[in-house]
Amino acid sequence: MVDRSLIGRLVEALRCLPGVGPKSAQRMTFHLLERDRNGARRLAHALLAAADHVGNCRVCRTLSEDDVCRICANQKRDHSQLCVVEMPADVQAVEQSAAYRGLYFVLMGHLSPIDGIGPDDIGLDHLAQRLDGGEVKEVILAANPTVEGEATSHYIAELARLRGIKSTRIAYGVPFGGELEYVDGGTLTHAFAGRREV
Amino acid sequence: MGASIRHQLQPGFVLHQRPYRDTSMIVDFFIATHGRVSVVARGVRRAKSRLAPLLQPFQPLLVSWVARGELGTLTAVESDGVPHTLNRRVLISGFYINELLVRLLHRDDPHTELFQAYLTVLQQLTGIEHVADPVQQEEQVALRIFETKLLNELGYALILDHDVKSGAPLQEDALYHYHLERGPVAIESRHYSSQGGEEIKLHGSSLLDLARGAFRDHSSLRESKHLMRAALGVHLGRKPLHSRELLLHGLQPAPPEKTDSRSK
Repeated sequence: MVDRSLIGRLVEALRCLPGVGPKSAQRMTFHLLERDRNGARRLAHALLAAADHVGNCRVCRTLSEDDVCRICANQKRDHSQLCVVEMPADVQAVEQSAAYRGLYFVLMGHLSPIDGIGPDDIGLDHLAQRLDGGEVKEVILAANPTVEGEATSHYIAELARLRGIKSTRIAYGVPFGGELEYVDGGTLTHAFAGRREV
Repeated sequence: MGASIRHQLQPGFVLHQRPYRDTSMIVDFFIATHGRVSVVARGVRRAKSRLAPLLQPFQPLLVSWVARGELGTLTAVESDGVPHTLNRRVLISGFYINELLVRLLHRDDPHTELFQAYLTVLQQLTGIEHVADPVQQEEQVALRIFETKLLNELGYALILDHDVKSGAPLQEDALYHYHLERGPVAIESRHYSSQGGEEIKLHGSSLLDLARGAFRDHSSLRESKHLMRAALGVHLGRKPLHSRELLLHGLQPAPPEKTDSRSK
């Protein structure tokens, strides 16, 4: 039987979160109701506001509450470099670590012919227009290092090549602080293929 | 629920994978001894998964799984050699082959010979270096040979040696109508071009070339391609092959002539 009480509905609603089953949903519900009513209100307001007002940046397609996201709108950043990533989380990852000062383009996925995901589904028509704009001088390919990601990168590199724009790809290799012995064969193959002079 | 059967270290390849639940994936394998096998790979979408890097298309694998009804469970995967690194655009041809197998192979139906053909076509595609031309001739040849073997293995082999009406062996320079359900029928030259229609018209030489797996010229290769597309189409049904569309239109992005198109 479905629990239609307010408590039951909250438990059910929390289960839409990844990794949250009935047990954790129940624990969260009781925590919010017994110990943290203010936290519950804050959460509710934040969720509602974000769900209603976060869209996609008109320029780079990442999640943003503004029409143009802060990175794209920032005039201090290098507008001649464009880093292409698969997901908004990838933008965060690069922002938090790499010393990258250029702009991004977020595909929201990768080419996956078998699933019927083609170039237009990941906004490559949009990207092509952006490249036509003439501001971009270098495209940095940072799609995930999977076979589909590779196909996606190739496609984008072609878009860039036809417009005379340089494209580079971030290096594949052995993780920093890792041990060679435990690195999988595929990564080692790429690491050797992409070795460079020191 | 049927009994569960444990399979150990069978040679195979990933054909396709899709997300399942929060951290798992459903992976379609092509296993030499079992044909297409779908299994759940638990936890491979976690950050620390050691299997995820291996579960890529074109990587030779040794696969262990427990079969239980339609959907088994992956228990282990080991690398069985260096991955076939298909050169950028050729990747799409690799996806095309995988898509054909996903669409046409039945589950748990062994195809050892087709597996050999799959290995062969991957090896041939791996060797292709150039990416300048839209689709290379050697790539076309490799794909046609694989398609012919695929139809043979599925039990829909094309008739490529005799005229099904007269029973006579095919003549190189004669023209034939290929009726997909029956086979080639010679066209008398004065009737040729009288009808467009659904039937495929091609030279005897192209049919013989397709049977041999060696093509004498571009026209033979082109005619064979049309025939194979129609013959596969019968079994693929109405849903289009996405990787073929990508191959045809996708990877030849139009050169930047935006100014023209805007002014129209």
